[in-house]
Amino acid sequence: MAANPMQQFEVHRIGPKIEISGIDLSFTNSSLFMAISAVLITMLLLFGTREKKLVPSKIQLMSEMLYNFISKMISDTAGKKAKPYFPFIFSLFVFILFCNMIGMLPYSFTVTSHIIVTLTFAIFIFIGVTILGFVIHGFKYLKIFVPSGVPVVLLPIITVIEIISYLSRPVSLSVRLFANMMAGHTMLKVFGGFVISLGLIGGWLPLSFSVALTGLEILVAFLQAYVFAILTCIYLNDALNLHH
Amino acid sequence: MNDLEDLKTRLKIAKSKLQNKNLEKTERKGVFLGNAFKLGTELVAAVAIGTIIGFILDNWFGTKPILIIVFFLFGAAAGIVNVFKAAKKMQGDEN
Repeated sequence: MAANPMQQFEVHRIGPKIEISGIDLSFTNSSLFMAISAVLITMLLLFGTREKKLVPSKIQLMSEMLYNFISKMISDTAGKKAKPYFPFIFSLFVFILFCNMIGMLPYSFTVTSHIIVTLTFAIFIFIGVTILGFVIHGFKYLKIFVPSGVPVVLLPIITVIEIISYLSRPVSLSVRLFANMMAGHTMLKVFGGFVISLGLIGGWLPLSFSVALTGLEILVAFLQAYVFAILTCIYLNDALNLHH
Repeated sequence: MNDLEDLKTRLKIAKSKLQNKNLEKTERKGVFLGNAFKLGTELVAAVAIGTIIGFILDNWFGTKPILIIVFFLFGAAAGIVNVFKAAKKMQGDEN
């Protein structure tokens, strides 16, 4: 009897049903794990910055490393102009990282394995970056759809292609994170099911696969948070520094 | 005082050596994997968006199969442009 590998992604209500003007706003296991990650992040950073020792404690070291990591990433990809957006990208990265990592614990729920969550992040970033571009550059921002040095005959086609390419950003951003998380967790569950159904004799091979996959999944969990944040930086860079 | 300065510089050198070694290894591996994931979705997302735009425009203008085909092709082109741009960026990072 193997459990359904997709069962882990089911969202169910915790506590009473809350409905406001036809929209279901009940507290679910998804919201619970989002809240847990938020609390953990707050705790890590609060304890990490409470005592500012010259020789840092482990928790202080962790929060300082996190800060340096993001700070370096932003200055490498988007330059000095992107400094004011540090808090946003830092929160984004740390939240996705914690959601992914908490999802690796048994019996937990992976918030980022739902496309609605990742698409919300991505569309928010997309709209924000677009507004930012128009605020900074005015209508000149439309130039990103018209690459320089293109023959006039090809211009309409290239513009359409560039617009589609621009619109595909939130989709590729959200699908990447969601697909990686969902595929990885499904695979883990399937191999776990094989261990049970093959028993003591044949179960060792899938078990070793499971162990290896767990390691890979932890790497992917970190990497996807990193890719999400770095792509946000790249989009931000496009909006801040128009160069084509 | 002199000894302290000396120790400071020696520590600095040792630290930077260690850091560079560790960073290069893990960062390289991670960047490769990240890039691999990136290129695939970049291609697919543009095709999907192009097709959806074609579908919507077809419904608006009532030109059922034509625009969806045209925009599918545009989407495929945009996907290739996306991959091209991403690959160019990667090459730029390496140098």
